[in-house]
Amino acid sequence: MTGFISHHLFSSILAVGGTIILFQLFARLQQRLRLIWLQPMLMTILALIAIMLWQGISFEQYFSNAWLLNALLEPAVVALGFPLYQHLGTIIKQWKAILLVLCIGAFTAIISSFLLTIAIIADHSIAVALALKSVTTPIALAIAGQLDGNTAITAFAIILAGIFGAIIGPPWLKFLNVNSAKVQGLAIGAASHAIGTATVSNISYQHAAYSSLALIVSAVITALTSPFIINFLSSLLLAV
Amino acid sequence: MAMRVTMFKNHMAQVLYSVFAIMTCLGLGKLCALLAPILPASLYGLIIFTLTLHFRLFNADQIKASVVWSIKHMAVCFVPAGVGIINHFELLKQFGLTIIAITFATTFLLLTLVALCYQQCSQEKN
Repeated sequence: MTGFISHHLFSSILAVGGTIILFQLFARLQQRLRLIWLQPMLMTILALIAIMLWQGISFEQYFSNAWLLNALLEPAVVALGFPLYQHLGTIIKQWKAILLVLCIGAFTAIISSFLLTIAIIADHSIAVALALKSVTTPIALAIAGQLDGNTAITAFAIILAGIFGAIIGPPWLKFLNVNSAKVQGLAIGAASHAIGTATVSNISYQHAAYSSLALIVSAVITALTSPFIINFLSSLLLAV
Repeated sequence: MAMRVTMFKNHMAQVLYSVFAIMTCLGLGKLCALLAPILPASLYGLIIFTLTLHFRLFNADQIKASVVWSIKHMAVCFVPAGVGIINHFELLKQFGLTIIAITFATTFLLLTLVALCYQQCSQEKN
């Protein structure tokens, strides 16, 4: 029994410690080389996958030992309330514009992804999965289950959308001449949920505040409207 | 030496206070998620944390240092869930490139649309 506990403790320290060390290494490397694709989260995930395939470690084995990091996700998301509090005054002044833009964003995300997937793959469960990829995982998974979406693909597409936005978001928006921290934060929060928010929070507090705001508001809009939009689009396609 | 000990004690007190504040908000968030299952507990917690700071139920100055640190390092918490991609290799073989292409295109579209619309709205206001 003691042997089992000490073995499990050792594996946990190895999984959590290894993940943190790899992440810090890639973060330092990116700071030094300034290459966009060297995004620490993406590189750590790829490095861990390579190590696991090489050593024959299953995801379940890794996850049961790295549970501590995953458990810290919830309090970390709550902590994003701090930058939001700091910018609450300006946000309240602009609430109409912000709500309008985020509604347009959420509807576009759902409709464009759903129709594009139906047009290319012609599979309803994948179309539902991709329509929900821009919101935070717990909400998307709950709605995907409710609407017969493929939850594995939902989970995968959410991570992809998060990483894409986190990597290409800041340089692409600069290229479009969108340099305001407010606008960049809002766009990345709307397109890349918590993963994008966690990444841009390193740039500035204003990024963190607006990205967190977009994360919450988009999640609420999607949770309330996506079942109706997806059911409406499905019945429209059936009628055609 | 005595000054260092006092500083360390103050620092630890601030960390504990921040942990208490965040966990209280998360606990209340879990309660909200149970009563009104629209949002996940962490997002309810985020909203409650913002409100408690705004209405000065928690002291923002005491919390600032620990929260800045945790936000700076939070991205690493997403790694374990991200590694989950390893379980979807079969799906990737079947539809991988198409799913990646659609996700990429629509994320690009969303980033551009939200940014340009909000920029336009902000400029009109100014």
